[in-house]
Amino acid sequence: MIRLENVSKKFMINGKENIVIKDINLSIDKKEIFGLVGETGSGKSTILRLMNGFIEPDEGNIYLMGKKLDRKTRHELVKDTSMIFQDFNLLSNLNVIDNVLLPTKLRRGNKKENINKAKELLSFVGLEDFYQSSIRTLSGGQKQRVAIARTLITNPKIIFCDEPTSALDDKMSYEILKLLKDINEKFDTTIVLVSHDISVIKALCNRVAILENGRIEDIVSLKTKKLTPVSYKEALLDD
Amino acid sequence: MINQYVDTFIRFKREIFKAFYETLDMIFTAMVISLILGLLLGFTLFITRSDGIYRNKTIYFIISSFINITRSIPFILFIIVMIPFNRFILGTGFGVNASKIPLSIIGTAIFARFTEHNLLDVNKNIYETSYALGANTLQYFIYFLLREARSGLILSFTSTIISLLSYSTVMGIIGGGGLGYLAISEGYYNFNYKLMWIIIIMMILLVHLIQSAGNFVAKKIDKR
Repeated sequence: MIRLENVSKKFMINGKENIVIKDINLSIDKKEIFGLVGETGSGKSTILRLMNGFIEPDEGNIYLMGKKLDRKTRHELVKDTSMIFQDFNLLSNLNVIDNVLLPTKLRRGNKKENINKAKELLSFVGLEDFYQSSIRTLSGGQKQRVAIARTLITNPKIIFCDEPTSALDDKMSYEILKLLKDINEKFDTTIVLVSHDISVIKALCNRVAILENGRIEDIVSLKTKKLTPVSYKEALLDD
Repeated sequence: MINQYVDTFIRFKREIFKAFYETLDMIFTAMVISLILGLLLGFTLFITRSDGIYRNKTIYFIISSFINITRSIPFILFIIVMIPFNRFILGTGFGVNASKIPLSIIGTAIFARFTEHNLLDVNKNIYETSYALGANTLQYFIYFLLREARSGLILSFTSTIISLLSYSTVMGIIGGGGLGYLAISEGYYNFNYKLMWIIIIMMILLVHLIQSAGNFVAKKIDKR
C-alpha cells in the first residue's frame, strides 16, 4: 500500500543543513495499522508528510497504492488518502457539517448524497446532535470526532494520523483510538499512526517502526490488545 | 440657531447634493478597484513572503516597496505627482474622473497591506490541512484561506473605505470636487462656517454608517 525506498530528507535550519530522515526503507500493507514512534525530533512527523506528498524527499522514491508519488501525481494520489491532526485543524468559520462536507467541495459529487453521507458519518462518530453546532462550542474530543468524520467522507484508502490523541485526556483518547480501530475493521482502511505515547501505539498498531535520529532502529510486530476504557482510579491503582 | 443651519442647508441644497454625488462617484470607483487589486496584491504578498508557499524575494520586495512608497508620500503631494499619469491614462489630469486614479492607487496600497496582515492571522496549519484534504492551490485560497480570513477582511475593507472618504476631501486640488472641497471652498474660504459644519456632520454620519455596516457584516459571517 505504501512503500518507501531509500528515502532521505534534509532541512536548512539557521543556514545549516540538517538531515532529518536518513535512508529509510519501509513497506506498509493494506488494512494494516502501522505505528511510527520516536522521541521529539526523531523524524516521525516528517515521514508522515513525505508519505502523503506534502513534502518531497531529497533522495529515494515513495510509492502509494502502487504509483510513484511525485509532483505530477501527488494531487491525485492524496485524494485517496486523508489526515488527522493533533490540533484537529478544523475551519473555525464553518459549522460541524460544513467542516465534514469540505473535502467533497474539492471533488465532484452529488450534493444531496454528500449531505446524507456527512450525517451518517456524524452519527458513526457519535455527533448526530451536533450538525449545526459551531466548532468553538465543542470539546477537544468532539472536535477530533468531527475531524475523523471529515476524513472518512471521501472513503480514503489510507489515513495518516499525526499524534491524534495528544491534545486529549485519557477517556477521550480511548474513544478516539476505538473509533480508529472500528474504521480499520469496518472500512478496511490502512492507518499510519504517529505518536510519542507508547500506550497509544500498543493499543492500536499491528507493526511499529522505532525511529531514532531519522533512522529506523527496528520494526516490531505487536499483538494488539482489546481496547478497554480505564478510569482514573484504575489507572492510579494499576501498580 | 438650528434654523440658521436648516436655512443654510436649504440654500446650498443643490451644491451639497452635487458634491455628495461627486464624493460617492469617486469613492465607489476607488472602492471597487481597491477591493480587486488590493486583494490580489495582498494574496501575492502573503504567498511570496519568506515563509509563504511561493517564496519570491524579488516579487515581495517590489510589491511591498510600491505599498510603502505610496503610503509614505503626503497624499496632497501624491495627487500632484500623479497628474502626468492621469493625463496619460485619461487624456486629462484634472476633474472627477482623474481624481479616481490617485484614490484607487492609495486604496489599493492600504487594502493590500491590510489583506496581507489578515491572512497572516489565519492558522498556519491550514495550508497543510487543505493539501491533505485534496485541495489544489486555487481551492486553498477560496475554500480555506478566504473563508478563515473573511471577517477580518471585511473590517479591513471598511477601514479602507473610510480612509478613501477622508482622502477624497482633498481631491479639489485637481478639480475632483466632492464634499470636502465644498466645505473648504464655500465654507472656510467664504466664511460660511455653517455650511462647513453641515458638511462635517454629514461626513461623521457617513463614517458611522460605513463602520456600522462593516461591523454588522463582519459579525454576521464570523463563526469563530
